[in-house]
Amino acid sequence: MTRRVLIAIPALNEVRNLARVVGDVRKARPDADVLVVDDGSEDGTAALAREMGCGVLRLPIHLGYGAAVQAGVKYGLRRGYGVVVTFDGDGQHDAADIEGLLAAVGRGADLVLGSRVLAPDAYQGGVARRVGRRAFSFLAWTLTGLSLTDPTSGLKALGPAAQKLFAATRFPDRFPDADALVLASRARLAIAECPARMRPSLNRHSMHDGLRAVSYTFNMLFSLLVAAFGREADLKG
Amino acid sequence: MPMRQKIFFLTVALLLVVVIFELVRRRRLRVEYSWLWIAAGLTNVVLILRYDLLIELTGFVGAVIPTSTLFFLCVLYLALLSLNYSVRLTALSREVKELAQELALLRAETESPRAPRP
Repeated sequence: MTRRVLIAIPALNEVRNLARVVGDVRKARPDADVLVVDDGSEDGTAALAREMGCGVLRLPIHLGYGAAVQAGVKYGLRRGYGVVVTFDGDGQHDAADIEGLLAAVGRGADLVLGSRVLAPDAYQGGVARRVGRRAFSFLAWTLTGLSLTDPTSGLKALGPAAQKLFAATRFPDRFPDADALVLASRARLAIAECPARMRPSLNRHSMHDGLRAVSYTFNMLFSLLVAAFGREADLKG
Repeated sequence: MPMRQKIFFLTVALLLVVVIFELVRRRRLRVEYSWLWIAAGLTNVVLILRYDLLIELTGFVGAVIPTSTLFFLCVLYLALLSLNYSVRLTALSREVKELAQELALLRAETESPRAPRP
């Protein structure tokens, strides 16, 4: 059985990188549909995506990364895609890894994460990033017994069950990282990891710089706890 | 409580209640958002009129001067009100997010309708 595949690319002001990212993705999976979720860009990201023949979701206001991803998942769910792959628009993901993600879904996983830790020769991120990743992994493991090497990875493949969970109104859309995984594990989704070779983001200002890292860390820790002790109702798709 | 203090506090508390009522009457403030405000104002009025209650409450919380109990209550109400706002803001931002996503999804639907399933 072949499943229809949607590759959802959340993008904010990515006119400089988008052509390359979309080109790479198409080369890797010519049969997949590509959707660009424009999170309120002001540089014509949506127009460029349309020009390239991608599906476009243009959010009228800037909602943030998590909500943009969620919008893409909703699109995939409504149009009946068997798999939705989330692939960052800033060029830090390698389209060649999509194949591995899809293979894992084919083996029965509901939710597959691309892990840079499993691709040890590749770029691992800055020191803060690495320490944070360790801490989040450890916490997620303590809270759920879930053993993941790279819980903050944005490169994911979602089968129908995971799409339903991610599209739920009460889904923690601000930080759809480790806490989302804790929720997914509590909802008994089959979670898998496969190696992913990440690159430094093509943008100077990525999500994890400077002071924002502090507030990000706090929010992350707090939402992890909330996810672990949250109500059962939040687990329904 | 000295008469001067009583009159002053009473005036302020009553004024607050009147302003809230007027806002609701003119539909500038929704009824369901006003109950906490009304409760705050009325508690103050009651405690000023029934000074013995205030004194009892002061003994209960372990304060020394009744006026500090009054101030404590005011601060407590303010804290509750801002917590109330945070809760409402959370609900509002979720609603805005859902609406924005829905709008984008509908727009995509009109621009490129679903291909009939093979």
